[in-house]
Amino acid sequence: MVADDATLTRLAGLSQQGDKAAYAALLGAARQWLVRYYRRRVLPSQLDDLVQESLLSVHRKLASYDPARSFAPWLAAIARYRFIDHLRLVYRRAEDELNTDLYAEDPDEPAIIARISLERLFEALPAAQQRAIELVKISGLSISEASATTGQSESLIKVNIHRGIKRLAALVERG
Amino acid sequence: MPDTTENLIAGLVADLKPVASLRKRTGMTLAVIALCAGALGMAGLFGLRPDLQARQPDPIALICAGLFLVLALASFWAVADMARPYVGVRREGWGWTALMAGVLPVAALVVMGMDWLRGEPMPLELDGGTCLRFGLGWGLLSAGVQVWWLRRGAPSRPARAGLLVGVGAGAAGIFAVSLYCPHSDLVHIGVWHGLTVIVAGLLGRIAVPRLIAW
Repeated sequence: MVADDATLTRLAGLSQQGDKAAYAALLGAARQWLVRYYRRRVLPSQLDDLVQESLLSVHRKLASYDPARSFAPWLAAIARYRFIDHLRLVYRRAEDELNTDLYAEDPDEPAIIARISLERLFEALPAAQQRAIELVKISGLSISEASATTGQSESLIKVNIHRGIKRLAALVERG
Repeated sequence: MPDTTENLIAGLVADLKPVASLRKRTGMTLAVIALCAGALGMAGLFGLRPDLQARQPDPIALICAGLFLVLALASFWAVADMARPYVGVRREGWGWTALMAGVLPVAALVVMGMDWLRGEPMPLELDGGTCLRFGLGWGLLSAGVQVWWLRRGAPSRPARAGLLVGVGAGAAGIFAVSLYCPHSDLVHIGVWHGLTVIVAGLLGRIAVPRLIAW
């Protein structure tokens, strides 16, 4: 944050009382914090939308802020909720496409994994799931190419991608 | 969505109106009122247990009802706080209370198991289903109030909030039923009254998250 937390906490308290100048300053600082928060987590093309959705949530849920507490952890909770909601949408979309692929044998799936920060989360996946996601979702190999590279059957590659993504989503939600 | 974030911020600032911060005590008070309404409703419609009418309460029934009451209050308290999102806050008190109340069904199962091992199995009374239904029914009062409270706030863990709403509502409902239910044996209370809380918790976990999404 540009302003220190004590200042933001004071601004948030004033905002709840209807002080528009304080609110403008608060939202400006919140915006900067949100941009930094999401920059490491989503594609640049999704950054603005997510920041704007979060600012709207701040506005709608301002009453849920407790002026006796610091502002930053409240904003972080709002941002985290919006990020998880965003991931759910992305995952649901990707899962639909994966499910279609299981029947249609179409290896060209959108790379959901490229949309989230993976380095730390990947460590929690079994090696086979890690490898399948890396090859297909990050390196862009087709299912059959990944199958030939790893020695896993094509069905197993798909299952490993499906389970791996599901596990990643759960890890992000917990974290 | 406005074209730029600057436009959005300008619009939000123009739209700002004073808001009263959600007070945890308010959420708690509302849930307690719902609990009392359930208890009074149950007692008003069906009357009190004979031992309560005689002002000689059975100790086992009294302790069990007290455990469910404490579980309901602990869950209400956690739910009241969940309306206000905050990273780093731990709300675990309800869990210890739930474990404490969980002793009842476990003890009931142990008693039933021992009877069975002795070759004297006692058949489970199926009229406990009435306690289950009434407990869930009266619990809806508390559940409704808590869902309304959470919708005013911004619960950041909807699944956990749903589970807690269910557990609190089930405990409140079965506390109300305890005022009328004539049974004082551990097996009935542990199995049927305990089951009410478990079923309510599961229902809350399934149904509530979509109601409180924001």
